[in-house]
Amino acid sequence: MHKDFARDYDSLTALYQFAEDILAANDIGEAIRFPVHLALEELFTNMVKYSPDTDGDIGVEVVVDGGGVTVTLTEEDVDEFDVTRPRDVDTGAPLAERTPGGLGLYLLQNIVDSLEYDYHDRRSSVVFTKESG
Amino acid sequence: MFEIAYGSDGEVLCAGRLDAAQCEKAQSFMDEIGDTRTLDFSALEYISSAGLGILLKTQKRLAESGAALKIVNVNKHIYDVFRYSGFNAIFDIKEKQ
Repeated sequence: MHKDFARDYDSLTALYQFAEDILAANDIGEAIRFPVHLALEELFTNMVKYSPDTDGDIGVEVVVDGGGVTVTLTEEDVDEFDVTRPRDVDTGAPLAERTPGGLGLYLLQNIVDSLEYDYHDRRSSVVFTKESG
Repeated sequence: MFEIAYGSDGEVLCAGRLDAAQCEKAQSFMDEIGDTRTLDFSALEYISSAGLGILLKTQKRLAESGAALKIVNVNKHIYDVFRYSGFNAIFDIKEKQ
């Protein structure tokens, strides 16, 4: 199922409900639902944050197949931003050396089972899957 | 929906979903905390990196005066997020029993 969302943090509640309705209807358990919602928010907010000069909607598709979940996010007329690039986050640093920010994509990369990024003609597409809790 | 309020013993009760759209509300509340305080997450269902940023910012500010946030009744999924982030080493965190 596909739906377009306005490029705004205020879309997060509707985005959550859209995905939750699909996951609940397919009896997807919390062990998969939580990371799917987290990955979806991190990618969506990343797109909002790093493409401020674009006002086009962000397309979201959620597909459930055999207990696994595949989510695709697409956006047009944006600069390249490879979300699969490893993030340099020192999660073992003491409090004094930690700075807010930068954790979103690091978390994303650690909680999904696969993550793919495609960019051409100023169109970005991100696909992630989650198949196990 | 996200709610944050003081409980009867001075603890901070957090409930619902702390996503990026709720950060302003959470940050405003946390900015008023000036001493060691317990956050009760028993009714908090979800947190994203945006919420983690607020916790980290508050913890760093409190540490300057020797105070700290303690977090209790954390559900398994949120605890996993803390663990992936290394927050279990910089916060006193108790999982929900």
